[in-house]
Amino acid sequence: MREKASTFAGEPEPSGPNRRTVLVGAVGAGVAGTALAGVGVGLAAPTTAPPAPQETLPVTLTVNGVRRSAPVDPRASLLDTLRDQWGLTGPKKGCDQGACGACTMLLDGTRVLSCISLAVLHDGQEITTVEGLVAKGEMHPVQRAFAERDGFQCGFCTSGQVTSAVGLLKENPRPSRAEISELMSGNLCRCAAYSNIVDAVADAARGER
Amino acid sequence: MSEQGIGAALTRVEARDKVTGAARYTADVVLPGMAYAALVSSQVSAGRLRSLDVSAAKAAPGVLGVFSHLDRPTWHRVPAIPYFGETRMPFSDDRIHHAGQHIAIVVASTRQQAAHAAALVKAEYEAGKPVPTLEKALPSAYVAAQGNYVNFPQETVRGTPEEALAGSPVRVKAEYRTALISHAPIEPSVTTATWEGDELTLYDTSQAVVVHRGLVATAFGLPEDKVRLVCPLIGGAFGAKTHVWGHTLLVALAARRLGRPVQVVITRKQMFTTTGHQPPTVQRIEIGAERDGRLRVITHDSTNSTSFVAERPENTVLSSVATYAVPNLRTRVRLARMNFGTPTAMRTPGDGPGSFALECALDELAHELGADPVELRRRNHADVHPQSGKPWSGKNLLECYRIGAERFGWHRRDRRPGTRREGNDLIGYGMATARRVEHHRAAESTVDIRTDGGVVVRTATQDIGGGTLTTMIQVAADALGVAPDKVTITVGDTDLPPGAPTFGSITSGSNGSAVRLAAQDARGAAIRLAVGDKGSPLHGLAEDAVDVRDGRLFAKADPRRGETYAVLLTRNRVNPLRGNGKYSPAESQYETSTFGAHFTEVRIDRDLPRVRVVRHLAVIDCGIVLNTKTARNQAQGGIIGSIGVALMEELRQDPVSGRALAPALTDYHVPVNADIGQIDVHFVNKPDHNSNPLGAKGLGEICSIGVSAAVANAVFNATGRRIRDLPITPRRLL
Ligand code: FES
Ligand code: FES
Repeated sequence: MREKASTFAGEPEPSGPNRRTVLVGAVGAGVAGTALAGVGVGLAAPTTAPPAPQETLPVTLTVNGVRRSAPVDPRASLLDTLRDQWGLTGPKKGCDQGACGACTMLLDGTRVLSCISLAVLHDGQEITTVEGLVAKGEMHPVQRAFAERDGFQCGFCTSGQVTSAVGLLKENPRPSRAEISELMSGNLCRCAAYSNIVDAVADAARGER
Repeated sequence: MSEQGIGAALTRVEARDKVTGAARYTADVVLPGMAYAALVSSQVSAGRLRSLDVSAAKAAPGVLGVFSHLDRPTWHRVPAIPYFGETRMPFSDDRIHHAGQHIAIVVASTRQQAAHAAALVKAEYEAGKPVPTLEKALPSAYVAAQGNYVNFPQETVRGTPEEALAGSPVRVKAEYRTALISHAPIEPSVTTATWEGDELTLYDTSQAVVVHRGLVATAFGLPEDKVRLVCPLIGGAFGAKTHVWGHTLLVALAARRLGRPVQVVITRKQMFTTTGHQPPTVQRIEIGAERDGRLRVITHDSTNSTSFVAERPENTVLSSVATYAVPNLRTRVRLARMNFGTPTAMRTPGDGPGSFALECALDELAHELGADPVELRRRNHADVHPQSGKPWSGKNLLECYRIGAERFGWHRRDRRPGTRREGNDLIGYGMATARRVEHHRAAESTVDIRTDGGVVVRTATQDIGGGTLTTMIQVAADALGVAPDKVTITVGDTDLPPGAPTFGSITSGSNGSAVRLAAQDARGAAIRLAVGDKGSPLHGLAEDAVDVRDGRLFAKADPRRGETYAVLLTRNRVNPLRGNGKYSPAESQYETSTFGAHFTEVRIDRDLPRVRVVRHLAVIDCGIVLNTKTARNQAQGGIIGSIGVALMEELRQDPVSGRALAPALTDYHVPVNADIGQIDVHFVNKPDHNSNPLGAKGLGEICSIGVSAAVANAVFNATGRRIRDLPITPRRLL
């Protein structure tokens, strides 16, 4: 009695147990087959878009103290590489435009926007993400302060805020409240937990003296 | 405040997860074999697709499929509106209604491959002539017929407005404009779809998993129980995730077609153009009053833009209908279609732009009369609902004025604009009233008490940052008589009892009531079990002779006599003991609203007239406050968001094509940390039990209403310049 669920009528519907193989026929031509083989032998693109890279490049990074290597698409950002390749989903993609700060990481100790940093350009460097701030199960003082001060609401900007605050306190261990506001202004919080964020960073700064 | 939890300033239960990066949001879900989608956007804002060449995209490395209207999606039906965004299903034809409209979806093995291939899709358009802006659409504005989004009276008449105006000794009349603004949550919309045969699971950034499940089921022609939606944590939304938008359905369709999970993270640009916005409004208000300030009449005419695929009026005029005691009234809302994406609810729909116009107009009246703005509002206080005449379930607005004026130091305001200075700064004070109708929705929850004394709350609501996980735990703990740290909660999955949406300030009142009922049910069952159990020290007592505290049931008359939930349930081998709570709002003899008063101090440099809100105080009447820590944070956030609306937010459009000129967070300015002055929030904190069993009402919206008017009124007080167009940028003040 139930009707069939919606699909695209333009092509035959995949069916059967092995969906992976079915989709080769489903998309038609050799295109999907090529895709499944995972190598790029695509046709030359008749557009102005930049040509697709044909290969990956080996990248080695020390992430939160662990050396990791992988073949990386040269177009991939540090953010996508850490999230997709290594499952470090703490850093968030808010804008992918370098405008919000949700993806903030520490690169050799300095704050960077990982969404606009290409992974292949940082081969051999050291990365700390929000996950790496936890030491032996103990939260970093900045993390504790954010938790206690309710320095967030939805929490989506928070890994960036926390990481940014750690970087800030390295740059300037004794910031005034005004300096905290100024130096944290690259990290947007659309929930606008700003005053609690300043309180948290100020607490952490005092604790770290 | 109850010692057992309600009102306590508890730290959020998910705090550690959120500060360590362990909290998992929709985009953090990775499924085996998952492919990545990218959506291709229309470059023109009107017309049709003449051709769409996807061959290069299909041939690009890693590409698994490219789909468009050419693939003829067999949608079952258009889901119910509201909550589905538009009347047109994605890819249903070759028509283009706005720039940024999805015209193709590309799926590939990696994100980079998908994004690259999307750039290879070649569209040729037969460009039409767009209606680019609200300004250009105004001549064809119309009053919409009821249906879909049009679910409130588009025209209201009370008394004899025209005569009342003619006979009014004092009149003010003005036109106000609010800008096209964007929710801009930091988390973009994300959908991951996976099918098992005919069963669809969606990990979707959704403010209402239960409501959205039904819509998706309708679109696909599936029974509801074949669709599962999962979304425990939302990374902010402010309305952008209130509705189901095209990308969610397209990803599900692609996943079905390809037989593997597919994820899309829509781009920031697409967030601005395809997940709604608050439409610009043009509002004309005329007020007639007696010389003593008593209002005789208000007329409020409002026009907002809508798209060509949805009719969505902003209920701006409700501010005029329901805020003050005014015997004569006429309101009208009109729509004007423009070639832009479809508008949607945005904190705060209707009342945000509506209160801007009304509360500025009242300030103009106060100035005209030489009256104090607070006093003028007091004089026109609505003791009952001005339209229905019903009593309020609870209203403490006069107290909001009193506390606010006192704490803010309102008496220091100089009535003569432009007179207070400090150095190069002009200083101004402004205020406004806030009122928001309180919505209720059916919600269900279970509360399980386990033999180890732990408690689990299960309800399909979601946490958007309002502290729901924590407050629901507090509600359960309070009703059960256990410590909050004994309670855990599971939310955000349609497999759970249907909870309330996380929009419209519904969660605290409605879902909170469901949780409370469930906890009371479990507690009652435990007490019955104990008094009927020969092995219990409470055996034989009347049920109401037993109380519970800290997880221990005891005789009220002899508190030493008792036992814990854990001992009782273990002995009786009941694990868990489940309580069910089903809250369904009843027809009420009351009108329920939340109220507030906002007081603002601005400072404006005389040479570069950039407005700074140095101090803002809000007094909010939202019933009982469930958690003072999260509530204060949420209220401050709502205020700051609206300061953004007042001073900087505008998604500017190209005057010819109507396209968003710079749909990016670099150009769409939202408040940043350094913009923020001192924001104080005070809660009246009186339960409103006529509203719902819990006595708590919504906060997310009331805190943001009236703020933009308070700022504009402060700007007038500082400068003598009445700015009636938002945002109040330096350019407008020069
Ligand atoms: S995601 Fe990198 S700055 Fe926004
Ligand atoms: S906590 Fe939601 S964006 Fe900062």
